[in-house]
Amino acid sequence: MTGRPRVAAVYAALAVGSAVWVAAVLAAPYFWSRDCRFSLVLYACFSPVCHQMPERSFWLFGHPLAVCARCFGIYAGFLAGLAAYPFVRGFRPAPPPGVRTILLFSLPVAVDTAAQFLGLWKTAAAGRFATGALWGAILPFLFVPALAGLRFPGLKRKPGKLRMTGTDV
Amino acid sequence: MNGPRPSLFTPALVGGAAAGLLSAIPVVNCLCCLWIIGGGALAAHLWAKNNPRPLTSGEGALVGAYAGLIATVIDFLISLPLAAVNAAFFRRVFERLSAYVEEMPAGWERLFDRTGPFEVGWFLFGLVVAAFIFSVLGALGGVLGHSLFGRRSQPAAPQPPVPPPSA
Repeated sequence: MTGRPRVAAVYAALAVGSAVWVAAVLAAPYFWSRDCRFSLVLYACFSPVCHQMPERSFWLFGHPLAVCARCFGIYAGFLAGLAAYPFVRGFRPAPPPGVRTILLFSLPVAVDTAAQFLGLWKTAAAGRFATGALWGAILPFLFVPALAGLRFPGLKRKPGKLRMTGTDV
Repeated sequence: MNGPRPSLFTPALVGGAAAGLLSAIPVVNCLCCLWIIGGGALAAHLWAKNNPRPLTSGEGALVGAYAGLIATVIDFLISLPLAAVNAAFFRRVFERLSAYVEEMPAGWERLFDRTGPFEVGWFLFGLVVAAFIFSVLGALGGVLGHSLFGRRSQPAAPQPPVPPPSA
């Protein structure tokens, strides 16, 4: 028995969860535009993980999203990475990306966040979204193997080079 | 080589305590989810350091998730005495938000009321939501921590002694 169905099941659960998560971010301003108090619940749900500053958020239906542009970029990038995952790896058990690949995708958002925190420069919302999306795109390639391996400890890892980086891990 | 796994409680406690503390302090908590991710990575690093065998990414996610849950508890415990400061901060955020939009959701001012069963309900709801979100972010941090700090190659198996060549 191969690990493919197991990885596929974890992938499907993660895809559904991520889609619901992003939908909630987009639904908050929609419910606000309808003067529905459920919008407050949605904004409150995301308040522990985002400053929700309106001047740093994208707007939809005349109201800000439930998270800032950078956070929304991370979530959208995660969803995009999930969409690309089957084409890059299929559903075979595979090792996570190497350290260099992770650092390559993480460096822009880390540098930009640190620079803004220190007051070195200010990035427009599009730039924050882009750096967040780049980092978010690599995360499924870490998360899917991790969750698949955790739930099914007997899952065997197939050794070999990664298609993405060509480096052994 | 596959010996008993050390307890992950202490690494999760250390990572979760650091993340929860930093997430609760006003101004410092502006980095939001990054503290929780960092706490998960720290927990994975500490567990890998004390583990005689290499950590798997799934185990990194597990210890990170536990760190996230601990961070939730510590965040809420520290936030309780600082609730007035945080409520004032969020009230200012919403007041600033109200300057950008023509209509605010009905009853938004009551969101910051601090008396009556309404507050208890919000507290419990916030605790459940935060526990879920923090455990997911902690798991993410644990996976990142495993990838960056926790992976190391297993030591080579001892080679059998080479018999001396026959004369």
